[in-house]
Amino acid sequence: MEYFKSGLKSVLGTPQEGSQPTGAETVERLVDRVHSSTLLDDRRDACRALKALSRKFRIEVGAQGMDALCQVLEMDRRDCEIVGYALDTLCNITAPESFEDEEHASLSPASVGSVGEQFTEIFIKQPDNVGLVLGFLEEYDFHVRWPAVKLLTSLLANKPKDIQEIILVSPMGVSKLMDLLGDSREVIRNDALLLLIQLTKGNANIQKIVAFENAFDRLFDVISEEGYSDGGIVVEDCLLLMLNLLRNNTSNQNFFKEGSYIQRLAPMFNLPAEGDDTGWSAQKVGNIHCMLKVVRTLVTPGNPAQVTLSSQKTMKACGLLETLCNILMASGVPADILTETINTVAEVIRGNQGNQEYFANVMAPSNPPRPAIVVLLMSMVNEKQPFVLRCSVLYCFQCFLFKNEIGQSQLVQTLLPSSADVANLTAGQLLCGGLFSGDPLSNWFSAVALSYGLVENPAQKEQLLRVLLATHIGSLPVSLLHQCTMLLQQGNSVQSKLGLLMLLSMWLSHCPLAVKQFLSIPTSIPYLTTQVSAGSNEHDENEELVQGMCAFLMGICVTFNDDTVTTFSKEKLRQLIEKRLGLETFLDKMGEVSRHELYSKAAKHPQLRPKQPSELLFDHEFCRLFKALEGMIIKAVTPKPQGDLVNGSSELSMSASENSLLLQYKDLIREQDHNLQELTQTINRLTMDKSTLEAQVEDMTSTISQLRDENMLLRAQANTSLGQVTDGSSVGHETFHMLEEAQAEAHRWKRESEHKDMLIHKLVPYWAKIKQKNLCFSWMVLDLHQVGSQTATVTGVGVMKIPHQLVKFPLRGCKCTNRTQNHSPCFLKKWIQTVTLN
Amino acid sequence: MNRQTIWHPIPEESNLHNQQDEFLNIPHGEIIALTCICKQTCTLWLDMSFIVAGVEFGARMITIDGKQIKLQIWDTAGQEAFRSITRSYYRGAAGALLVYDITRRETFNHLTTWLEDARQHSNSNMVIMLIGNKSDLESRREVKKEEGEAFAREHGLIFMETSAKTAANVEEAFINTAKEIYEKIQEGVFDINNEANGIKIGPQHSPTNPNLPSGSQGSMQGGGCC
Repeated sequence: MEYFKSGLKSVLGTPQEGSQPTGAETVERLVDRVHSSTLLDDRRDACRALKALSRKFRIEVGAQGMDALCQVLEMDRRDCEIVGYALDTLCNITAPESFEDEEHASLSPASVGSVGEQFTEIFIKQPDNVGLVLGFLEEYDFHVRWPAVKLLTSLLANKPKDIQEIILVSPMGVSKLMDLLGDSREVIRNDALLLLIQLTKGNANIQKIVAFENAFDRLFDVISEEGYSDGGIVVEDCLLLMLNLLRNNTSNQNFFKEGSYIQRLAPMFNLPAEGDDTGWSAQKVGNIHCMLKVVRTLVTPGNPAQVTLSSQKTMKACGLLETLCNILMASGVPADILTETINTVAEVIRGNQGNQEYFANVMAPSNPPRPAIVVLLMSMVNEKQPFVLRCSVLYCFQCFLFKNEIGQSQLVQTLLPSSADVANLTAGQLLCGGLFSGDPLSNWFSAVALSYGLVENPAQKEQLLRVLLATHIGSLPVSLLHQCTMLLQQGNSVQSKLGLLMLLSMWLSHCPLAVKQFLSIPTSIPYLTTQVSAGSNEHDENEELVQGMCAFLMGICVTFNDDTVTTFSKEKLRQLIEKRLGLETFLDKMGEVSRHELYSKAAKHPQLRPKQPSELLFDHEFCRLFKALEGMIIKAVTPKPQGDLVNGSSELSMSASENSLLLQYKDLIREQDHNLQELTQTINRLTMDKSTLEAQVEDMTSTISQLRDENMLLRAQANTSLGQVTDGSSVGHETFHMLEEAQAEAHRWKRESEHKDMLIHKLVPYWAKIKQKNLCFSWMVLDLHQVGSQTATVTGVGVMKIPHQLVKFPLRGCKCTNRTQNHSPCFLKKWIQTVTLN
Repeated sequence: MNRQTIWHPIPEESNLHNQQDEFLNIPHGEIIALTCICKQTCTLWLDMSFIVAGVEFGARMITIDGKQIKLQIWDTAGQEAFRSITRSYYRGAAGALLVYDITRRETFNHLTTWLEDARQHSNSNMVIMLIGNKSDLESRREVKKEEGEAFAREHGLIFMETSAKTAANVEEAFINTAKEIYEKIQEGVFDINNEANGIKIGPQHSPTNPNLPSGSQGSMQGGGCC
């Protein structure tokens, strides 16, 4: 302290006697000197003094000196020493934590924490400042480069988002930081690592640039230099950075895979030699933990399937999977490493048939040798094993059977009588043992594990129905399904009940045969009914879950019921739910399940991460099933809408798409209805028109025949008068007179007939009208011309098509044009002949 | 929708039939509008071709003179908004593909900016290829082939027209760029020991190869293939 004071004196000059300057005053004078002194030495000394004061009088230095310090960075950048002091000072005032000797009497402890943040904010208001600091990274001098790294770390800790953006847009900003990893001075390299970890948090663009700058190579180099998992905390830092680069970043994951970096992971899991107690230091455990996390990031179920799948393949090909399996079977591995390794193996084999097959063939070095799976399951159903370890085995088993029909059928096979091998302990036997043990947790684990054998596999659901158990010596064997139902009724632990209910739900869903067998058990439905109808406040809240699950199971019995059990047919169960339990109650209880907090947790991720055994209630695969079936069940148990609900609001029970479809059809039907009415009206009108027209036609027909008769009469009279003329020549003049008279009369008649002809023509349009309405009427108009002459011309009119077009036919050899198709020429000819004869 | 792609070489593990070959990682290219090209050439990019915002990584194997070369391709967006980000990718790239769209003149007009950026930030030996994409859309062409050729001549680039849709010339574009880089390596223009050049030698390096100094093996890779 004395030294420090003397230093101050030398800078500030001897203080006046009796008036000791306050910290603020000292700082003010120093800042002033940095600002205005023309001599570099003076400014440097002042800077050094400011640095010395910057911890104790942090606020004063920051508040008054920020501009001066930034000015130094800008103006005096050539002088490494003064820049070093300035950077150190800035480092202190922006530090995220407070210092022990800091004076902050006037400040409440709460605001102290944000001092660094506020100064950071002031500093980055001028983004060029950050650029300056980045520039100093290129300065090799330790006293510049190191504080620059530390300053950036402080700034990042305070304002991560802003600094990330600034560095991203500074030319080669990220690249400069990456170059630091090559610094031979370990302090700088290590601090640069920490800086990069901060920098890459949650910013995909920076992560990609860092990866592009060969980060993986450099990190692996550092890790191998440090001795892989035996290395110090630097190895862990490298791995943390790697994790940041890979997590949720598909592009980098691809790069990692394509760059063959997975191959470089394998040698990192070198285990300490057997019997070496010192082999598992805390740091080594930490390092291996991080390595396992890196592996898992590449194959986590949340990744795009294509990335996961190809990573899994590579992991098997390069021997990483084998190495991991060796850790599983090695002795002396700490429990938490073992747990994490099991989880890692789980994800490496998940949904990848080749890897699953490989895993199925891994043998444990036990005596007799047993498959690794069996050994793992033994731990799962063993109460004495650590809880997290048991959970990880379940996860591993889930991943092993995920999309693995062969594995599923092998599991069920081990339970079937034909293949039961008494000498060997099998997975199936272990699970059955766990199912019937006294430990609720083991019950739960075993039930869920067994249900994995049935996921999306109807064949195994039916196979499992064949499993028979000999419960007591001498008693008849009972089926596994029966036994499970019995256990459900006898059990008192919520956990084991839920486990069994999940197993039964998985079993019965999409399997009418299993539903049939379940319904045939006399006590099954009565038990479920009692549970669902029970009051809700009896026990703890988890009791409600059991009720909800019972409702769900009952719903499955309705949905997948093939009506073979007549006492509990689809309709009867529906009635039971509606009349006895009440539909509302039933649906409400079922809703309990999906409303539960643990349900949403389990549905989120395949791996369950319970903190304690009581948190194990739901399983991920079951949640998927529940989600898929919930809607179906609601539909199945809801009574069909009655007739009076024609346009009723059944939309509630339908999905959006069904709803829109329904509305669409309703519209369609309305439109069709409307059309129908219009058409009916049209038909009525047309029918009326038709009858009117028919009457008119009849009238006209009679008129025509009348006219014809008259015509015949006239002709007969004319003939008679002609005959008289030729016969009696004596009569002579008189006859001639009569002839004239007759001719005149004939002319009159002719006119009259012409008049009637016109009348007929007038009527023709009516015919056209009828024809338009597709009513087919036809008639024939005949006209007799020149009645007076010996030859008569007949005009036949083809009336079907061209009523206005008269077609003339000569008396003999009449031709028929194609317009008169309806009346064959023969017919016309015959008719005309008749007329002529008359 | 300009897009640039930067290639970064990756070490490739040996192939069983060709144990004697060394594996070169050939650098980067810089590309505008490579989305479509990538769509055709790399199955890897099928899914992400529409969403390249910023930068996406892809890899591609080609063979030159019987040697397997893995191209690391960084497909970078060409929009101005990403300029500051994509600038970081020039350094450490051995090759660049500048891609414009022959049906949109503005992408052609933009080339100068990108070229300046590329020249400014990259290794001076970087091989740059100019590519006019969408040559299948002749009816909508806005930039004549001669213009592209002239631009390339003026700036000393290799020029090609491609169609990502019909895959015409796409493979060639990658191979030609890689060949050019490969020749430069053999001429000793590139220092293959300096990773900043975007070249990495894979394992199985043959010390007898006269073109490569025997001490030049890059980082050793684990065996196996992916």
